[in-house]
Amino acid sequence: MRGRVSSLTMTAVAAAAIAGAISLSATRTTAQAPAVPKTPWGEPDLQGIWTDETATPFQRSPRYANQEFFTDEQRAELDKQRATLLGRDKRGERGTELDVSGAYNAEFGIVRRTGKRTSMVVDPPNGRIPALTPEAQKIAAADKAFRLALLQSTQTCKNKLRGCEGGQYDPKPTARRAEQPARYNTARMNRHDDPEDGALADRCLTIGLPEFGAGNGGGSFRRIVQTPGGITMYYDVGQGQGWQRNIVMNGSPHLPPSIRQWFGDSRGHWEGNSLVIDVTNFSPKSDYRGSRENLHLVERWTRMGANTLEYQATIEDPAVWTKAWTVKQEFVKQNDEQNRIYYEPRCIEGNIGFPTEMRNARLEDADFAKGKGPDPLTHDNATGFGEDDPLQQ
Amino acid sequence: MRGRFLGSMISVAVVAAAAGAMITMWLTGTPGQAQNQAAAQTQNARPATVGGKPNFSGIWQANNEANWDLQAHAALPAAVTQPGVYPYDYARVPAAPVLALGAAGAVPGSLGVVQGDGQIPYKPEALAHKKENADHWIDRDPELKCYLPGIPRAMYMPYPFQITQSTNKIHMAYEFSNSARTIHLDKVEGPPDDTWMGHSVGHWDGNTLVVDVTNFNDRTWLDRAGDYHSEALHLTERFTLMSPDVIWYEATIDDPKVYARPWKIAMPLYRRVEPNMQLLEFRCNEFAEEFMYGNLRKQQLVKHWEGDTMVVDITRKIPAGDAFYEWYGR
Repeated sequence: MRGRVSSLTMTAVAAAAIAGAISLSATRTTAQAPAVPKTPWGEPDLQGIWTDETATPFQRSPRYANQEFFTDEQRAELDKQRATLLGRDKRGERGTELDVSGAYNAEFGIVRRTGKRTSMVVDPPNGRIPALTPEAQKIAAADKAFRLALLQSTQTCKNKLRGCEGGQYDPKPTARRAEQPARYNTARMNRHDDPEDGALADRCLTIGLPEFGAGNGGGSFRRIVQTPGGITMYYDVGQGQGWQRNIVMNGSPHLPPSIRQWFGDSRGHWEGNSLVIDVTNFSPKSDYRGSRENLHLVERWTRMGANTLEYQATIEDPAVWTKAWTVKQEFVKQNDEQNRIYYEPRCIEGNIGFPTEMRNARLEDADFAKGKGPDPLTHDNATGFGEDDPLQQ
Repeated sequence: MRGRFLGSMISVAVVAAAAGAMITMWLTGTPGQAQNQAAAQTQNARPATVGGKPNFSGIWQANNEANWDLQAHAALPAAVTQPGVYPYDYARVPAAPVLALGAAGAVPGSLGVVQGDGQIPYKPEALAHKKENADHWIDRDPELKCYLPGIPRAMYMPYPFQITQSTNKIHMAYEFSNSARTIHLDKVEGPPDDTWMGHSVGHWDGNTLVVDVTNFNDRTWLDRAGDYHSEALHLTERFTLMSPDVIWYEATIDDPKVYARPWKIAMPLYRRVEPNMQLLEFRCNEFAEEFMYGNLRKQQLVKHWEGDTMVVDITRKIPAGDAFYEWYGR
């Protein structure tokens, strides 16, 4: 059934292409397409609050190599396993660093039911992200080596914990402590010398595009409002961060290359029942799995029925991946009257944690300088967060 | 007079729309402007109405000095000043932290946007607090920290905002700090908590959009002059199209904890008619990091005089109670 709907959509797209031009009214292409709600002015109606109500592995596990969808039994089994994550109070040995970093326990996450697909990645057909280019591999390896060096003298490496995977314990702190990473830092590192050492998330500078829901960290909602010739989306993601996209629908070309934005430049048009958005002009400070200013997204938002919307994103950066790849999600319409979406990023407004971390680091520095405390590089302040959802491994 | 003009504009538009023009262009111009206007029409054409109501969709911006001070004021050397060589108020000079900006840090004068006698009717103790706010502008104004601006301030900050008008929701996206609000024209529950941007519920009074905004916190300000409100703030906004490219905006501001009576601001909002206009990002929390956390750097970005190289050595003494942490805890 799902397959049939998709192929009909393709037919509609072809029809639109033949008819030529961007049609504000999609009526001529709907003869064979599924009946979807339309706005009073005749565009496909994508309005409302939408979320992916299920959890789906991002990439396909080798265990399901030839299987695009889970069987009902597999989903039930995975749900059973994952239910134990709820309410689990994962803690390390009391009084240890690991225990403190485990303060973000299951209470802070959500566990959604396992979805139908064995992977969000639908192309390549094996459900795996294509190989990185040799250049991107080199950049990723250098970045990882730097982060591991900052961790090498911590308990995390001594005890061979996951945060030190690929690294080695060395009681002597690294000589690279004052080095800057080769590219603008976007992830948590075991150093708090400057705000720029913080993860974008900790600095209230995330989450960007593409946005597929934040793993077991909170999910994401998007509110879509349309007007003739205009469309806006407001994202409510993770633990209370949010941001807006105002899709430029007037057929004009992308922003000049000199203008770079955290969320890129979104330009859309209608193809049959699909809103197609082309996104470029990303900032070199944004990072999606290693892709920065050259990230290119082509999104397709297609209303499939009264309560469903299919989201598809093709991700391309020839400098990073050997070929383009595609992710698919199904969003479900949420209760509009209840309106659980929150239009307020209010992240920096309450970000007492980040400056506190820096303040603590300065106190540790001062103690160490006076010979009163250990080298700060023997503390792990960067890894050990989050739960171990078997879907996310 | 304005009402009659407006009524005729809208009825013409409605007739045109009914006559079958799916996209009716508001923009009409003199032949000399034809080229630019043609581009604007092609790129940002909007029907005159949505669901039979005036269409406010598009990108707008206030073009006034309200964000500096809602009340009438002469130009000032800076938003925060210190005594100069004379003992007179009118001879004050920019306070040290803004000194380095020169004339760019000055405040343009304004006839004000407060209706009636032009004065905000503060209760006496609230007026004292407003003055204290003004003295500690740098440490207290949430704009400097890139906090969510709140309503009504987001409507007249010097940044554009975009209205996307549907039949049941009207979304307003503000360039400043990625802030936004949805005006609910249909039935909706209140928010789960108090808010910076308020909870907006709208209805139509003829061709005027009336928005009731509640559920605020007490963290936002009204301008850079220290004008403030409490969590009891209740706004009633009115949006009326004066012409295709001008909205007359009014907001009645009620807060019995701070003001002796409700008062009103009013101003035009202008359409950004440039053919290529779009909202860009202004993700200022990144820009405010040095301001907020610079003192926590391992190596602060120190400044000195070295030979001919100018270093602005500034002392900004933060009064007790106004440091970031203490402010947050208030």
